[in-house]
Amino acid sequence: MMRGIYAVVVLDLKRFWLDRARVLVGLLQPLLYLFVLGSGIGASSQLGAGDYRRFIFAGSMGLTLLMTATFAAISIVFDRQIGFFKAVLVSPVPRPAIALGKILSGAAQAMVQGLVLLPFAVLAGLPLDVLKVIEMLGAMAVATVVFSALGVAVAARFTSVTVFPIVSNAMVLPLFFMSGAMYPLAMAPRWMQYAAHLDPVAYAVDLMRGALLGRFFFAPALSLGVLAVFVLIVTGAAVRVFNRGEDDSALGASKFNWRR
Amino acid sequence: MVKRYGKVEALKGIDLTVNSGEMFALLGPNGAGKTTLFSILATLRMPTSGSAHVLGFDVTTARDEIRRAMGIVFQEPAIEQRLSGRDNLHLMGLFYGLSPAAARRRAGDLLTELGLTEAADRPARTLSGGQRRKLELARALVTDPKILFLDEATLGLDVDARRMFWGQIRALAAAGRTVFFTTHYMEEAEVADRIALIDSGRIVALDTPRALKARVGGGVIRLKTVDDAQARAWLTARGHVPEPGLQELMLLHADPAAVVPELLRELPVKVQRVEVHEPSLEDVFLKLTGRGLAGEAPGPVARNGRPGEGGAR
Repeated sequence: MMRGIYAVVVLDLKRFWLDRARVLVGLLQPLLYLFVLGSGIGASSQLGAGDYRRFIFAGSMGLTLLMTATFAAISIVFDRQIGFFKAVLVSPVPRPAIALGKILSGAAQAMVQGLVLLPFAVLAGLPLDVLKVIEMLGAMAVATVVFSALGVAVAARFTSVTVFPIVSNAMVLPLFFMSGAMYPLAMAPRWMQYAAHLDPVAYAVDLMRGALLGRFFFAPALSLGVLAVFVLIVTGAAVRVFNRGEDDSALGASKFNWRR
Repeated sequence: MVKRYGKVEALKGIDLTVNSGEMFALLGPNGAGKTTLFSILATLRMPTSGSAHVLGFDVTTARDEIRRAMGIVFQEPAIEQRLSGRDNLHLMGLFYGLSPAAARRRAGDLLTELGLTEAADRPARTLSGGQRRKLELARALVTDPKILFLDEATLGLDVDARRMFWGQIRALAAAGRTVFFTTHYMEEAEVADRIALIDSGRIVALDTPRALKARVGGGVIRLKTVDDAQARAWLTARGHVPEPGLQELMLLHADPAAVVPELLRELPVKVQRVEVHEPSLEDVFLKLTGRGLAGEAPGPVARNGRPGEGGAR
């Protein structure tokens, strides 16, 4: 089991290393949010540009982690068709090890991307000290595992590379917009506050924001509790999908598509 | 064993025994159910009803036992193209539960064994098609499998590369491994000890290549002797039926290769020349499935029999 997890993680990190230039490209989106969208919207918001930038830093961090983790999960879809993963699926690695390894490697990749973004907090007007950084790293670690587990649970259900990004966008963007990453939930309409209670991204972003700004929307203990339960459920779902193997009827049907 | 995908019955009742240590070919046109049967035996899918055992293990309940003892070469690449061959094999070793050191050793051994040492440290995508297939084979051998599954493993390779690939497979089979393979290059199936012909989800024939060809009506033996008339009389007396009215001696026989040595030994006249023509497996398939011979049936069956055309997809 541990060797299986180790193997999956080593495989993914080796590939991630080959794609290391992507980490720099991956900086573009959060920096755009932070300094372009942030300055523009901030100037017209009650918070003012400076405060708004400080506010949305955790939000852009959330987006980055979410996107990186989801992208890492997409590799499952590619791989299962024409890649190493096909061979992995006929090896005696326990299926839970595959699911857990994928979640861990996705989280690790998101974490690397997040670490690269973290220093920009200073540019966004957030002075960092050791305690804040430690708290922030903890919150990021929680967030990456949550997002990665979600991505793997969803990706494992798809064999079609064209369908998965659509579904993932339909899932990722609503989760992101509802999470209060770009606006203070406290000022949002009631229904959005309620909705945010159902959104794991909201808890994760709130933990990170709290680490940096010292103000939480949800009680940190509540966030941690909700996220822990969420990770357990989603990981369970991912393990189940891998246990079922390739014999899903949906997978069976699409098996014939990738011969083209 | 039956396999349904929704309403489609991909396998309509398969009953099959593959002997330990034999090279077994599954031959049939696209859509015949080859890949489905292959996937079930390789623990990738479950039968809808019925059961299958590989090395004595049930494919639905003892998958890990089977996985530990089998190697697969897929039709599609299953190596990470951006990593080197060595890295690929090393990683695969980890997936088979080897320690990092043992996995590294195994990778090195396999690369040497398959003659890939020189190409071992280049990204797999820069290798030639033949080398990449060898690497796939090496990957399948990481676990030192008792049974090797090959699914259209040589699709798209040129003739030389295919010959080399099969040379290696034969060597592996000679070392006592069972090889179960699908192909639609008919001449590749010739190396098999036995062949199952599959069509529309059913096994329509299962036998040695020679016996299968015999079903077409056997082969043709042509003889040239110093005294054809005497030879003809002798053959007739022995119960053979030489084709009448020809200048030369021509004999239809169910198993010409088996009878020729005897004829040569016992024929009372000196034989100057002997020729044996065997019907091709393609002829067998066309006869058994009731589809016309090549030319009449421009369908996939007729096309796939020939290399080069079937390879382009």
